[in-house]
Amino acid sequence: MSSEAVARIARLKLRPHRIFGGIKPRAYKSSSLRSRILPCPIPDQLILSLRQHQGEAASPVVKVGDMVLKFQLLAEAENDSALNLHAPTSGKITAIAPHAIPGQSGQPELCVFLETDKQDAEIELTALPDYRAMSHLELLDLISQAGICGLGGAGFPSGLKLGDGIEKEIGLLIINAAECEPYITADEALLREFAEEVVSGAEILQKISLAPQCVIAIEKDKQDAIAALKPALRNSSIKLIALSAKYPTGGEKQIIQGVTGLEVPTGGLPQDIGVLVHNAGTAFAVHKAIIFGEPCVSRITTLTGAPLQTPKNFEALIGTPASYLLKICGLDKKQLTGAIVGGSIMGVELKNFDSPLLKTSNCIIAKSAKEFPQQAKEQACIRCGYCANVCPAQLLPQQLYAYSRSNDRLKLQDYGLADCIECGACAYVCPSNIPLVQYYRASKQEIKESMLRERQSEYWQSRFQTHQYRLKKNQEDKLSKRKKKKSAAGTKTENTFSREKARAEIAAAVERVKARKKKLIASTKLDK
Amino acid sequence: MTELITNSSPMQLGSLKTQRIMLLVIAALLPGISVASWFFGWGFLINVLLAAIFAIGLEAFALGIQKKPIKAGLSDNSALVTALLFGISIPPGSSWWLVFLGIAFAILIAKHAYGGLGQNPFNPAMSGYLFLLISFPLDMTSWQIPVNYPDATPLGWEGLQQSLLVVFPFLFSSTESMQATVDGMTMATPLIVSKMAGTNAILEAQQAGLNIFARTAETGWELMNIAYLCGGLALLALGIISWHIPVSIILTLAIVSGLFYSPHSSAVYGTPYLHLFGSATMVGAFFIATDPVSAATTNKSKILYGIIIGLGIYAVRVWGSYLDSIAIAVLFGNFCAPLLDHYCRPRIYGHPKQGLVSWLLGNRS
Repeated sequence: MSSEAVARIARLKLRPHRIFGGIKPRAYKSSSLRSRILPCPIPDQLILSLRQHQGEAASPVVKVGDMVLKFQLLAEAENDSALNLHAPTSGKITAIAPHAIPGQSGQPELCVFLETDKQDAEIELTALPDYRAMSHLELLDLISQAGICGLGGAGFPSGLKLGDGIEKEIGLLIINAAECEPYITADEALLREFAEEVVSGAEILQKISLAPQCVIAIEKDKQDAIAALKPALRNSSIKLIALSAKYPTGGEKQIIQGVTGLEVPTGGLPQDIGVLVHNAGTAFAVHKAIIFGEPCVSRITTLTGAPLQTPKNFEALIGTPASYLLKICGLDKKQLTGAIVGGSIMGVELKNFDSPLLKTSNCIIAKSAKEFPQQAKEQACIRCGYCANVCPAQLLPQQLYAYSRSNDRLKLQDYGLADCIECGACAYVCPSNIPLVQYYRASKQEIKESMLRERQSEYWQSRFQTHQYRLKKNQEDKLSKRKKKKSAAGTKTENTFSREKARAEIAAAVERVKARKKKLIASTKLDK
Repeated sequence: MTELITNSSPMQLGSLKTQRIMLLVIAALLPGISVASWFFGWGFLINVLLAAIFAIGLEAFALGIQKKPIKAGLSDNSALVTALLFGISIPPGSSWWLVFLGIAFAILIAKHAYGGLGQNPFNPAMSGYLFLLISFPLDMTSWQIPVNYPDATPLGWEGLQQSLLVVFPFLFSSTESMQATVDGMTMATPLIVSKMAGTNAILEAQQAGLNIFARTAETGWELMNIAYLCGGLALLALGIISWHIPVSIILTLAIVSGLFYSPHSSAVYGTPYLHLFGSATMVGAFFIATDPVSAATTNKSKILYGIIIGLGIYAVRVWGSYLDSIAIAVLFGNFCAPLLDHYCRPRIYGHPKQGLVSWLLGNRS
């Protein structure tokens, strides 16, 4: 099946294809691209969430009070969906306690608090500049050890994705550098300055995934990044494909469509059609992890928004509080109305300014009332169909909205709610200010819960039936055992034997105690 | 419904809001309205203004008795669009009570009885128009004359006086208003001429060499259609409406009228040109059929919807007993829209492509 997919990809001509729908929002990218990527100073405290992505939390291997060095393992992934966590700098562990982190749910997570000593003392790393000599599985293991996840924002553990890809056989690796969302410039800045490193990371990823072809996909309008990539790709078999700029070109399903013209089957994964997508930032992290042996402890993140005097891209340590990053970019507190982690379309609102940077935080936007006015009140849907024209999944958002309001589960499934990628293009164009994505999320949640309830009731029903069965069986067993006992009553020799033996032992023990007592009495008499 | 958190993704929103869409539609109607006023005179303008005033008042009333926020409901400008579309459809110089009844039916019955903006299955303006056409056929088919004698321009003082006489007869003594109507201020539209008197009338006029700035029935309708076409193209260029509905209506009408037309027969089919530019086709195709609420919404179904309306327009005009037929055809299209939307869905990303057979059998995946 999958080798068939690989053969199909080998026959394909990789060139820009049309992507369904999409919008062209104002980009707000130029201000943060004025400066080079700067290393972010080390803050006094780092807050390292044990859960850096939407997966399992890692379990800490350090205790409060421990002194740790840079790159030292702080928490270990106990299963595939968790991520190793390493110390971004040296210092002392002061607490392991819940703290707010950026996220959809706004739930506090267990975090390791690291008080930095500003020495930045490292543990010894094993660099592997000649990685080509190693097997792809050894390299895969190193990627998993380094705690790398998708740095484009989704945060799927890279090791897990690669491993799954190897199993399914991959025909094409796409390095996603589209970065289509407004405000974010982390990947663009990265490619502008570290194109060679990203290409090296892409080559490592290609070696691990055994993909015969690799493509770096970028949006046409990122001229500086393209100019930097071209010389870096001169001695490489990796191809560059420039797609037309629109949101959401950088979505995984969309970039696959843009590069290959193929679609990921509904309910399936890119691996099913022999494609693997990794973000450019992830490729950079992979390069550092293999060539220098550095685990993922920092990332390039964009600090932008009108209230910042000097918007820029930082190479910031994971765990740096957002408030610290905003402050060193010259935050004008009067203008600030809030902050978003991620882009202006799919990002999440920060509920606590001290929330730390996660491995997935590609951008922090300081909000101002001018750029982000209060969202207007929801009005009636006039069925203009603008949403359907921009939907990259070719859904009919206006119908989904109607069925979501009427809680029509069957219709929602029929109209492909599960295929919605929640990109928000529909809500962006909606002239009636309807928060469509929220309706879909609520409906998805409801469907999930009711399916869970159904499954649970099935489960409990089956449990009840097995319970009944077991009771009945126990009863039968008891009866048959009694019958056996009765029939076996004559042959009890072993039992009596052991009982007699026990009695003899007890008697012996009593004798010993008596003897000891006598001795004791005799000795006390001597003393007197 | 569950409580929704304000300001969740997307945080950045587009700027094209309902209110602005409606304003742009109104702006795009203005060239057509100006030409029509220049051509029909005050009677036309007074009708449009009256309709607008009645519509706003009735919309506020309807919102008020339903205890909906009045200011927010009026600010979307949708009642104004309904009023304009209704006002330009009825015969110029119609009486105030005719305007009132039509608008009342449009706003109260066709729109608010079904739940207000976004809920109405039928185009309110056309429902109002059809209600009047059925109830008052005579008043609805006598179009005030576009005056073509130089000393009484329709937009001059005399024209205003005459128009006020016809629209508000109660303001004047009965003899005066009688005089005004007796003066023979009404005439037939080119369609009526074509239908009742055969195509020759128009052909003759065209052969006589038309001066397009002369205020005659033929040139007036032609100019008006061109003005509405320009407004419609502007809406297309701005992305307010999509091309599917107007293009399929106009093409269908052009093809069907071209097929049936035979130049030398005495049949009353009318030239394609008459169908496109000698009637209300342009305003119907670009402004009325594209009303988003009652129209089909997927691109495929929009094309079918346009074809149905195009065929409907032609059929009613040529074989029906009504004269112009935009309203009937559009309402018929409205009937079909939900069904079209149900069967003409786009293939969702990642879903298998469907053959025609399985599509017809309804095997959706």
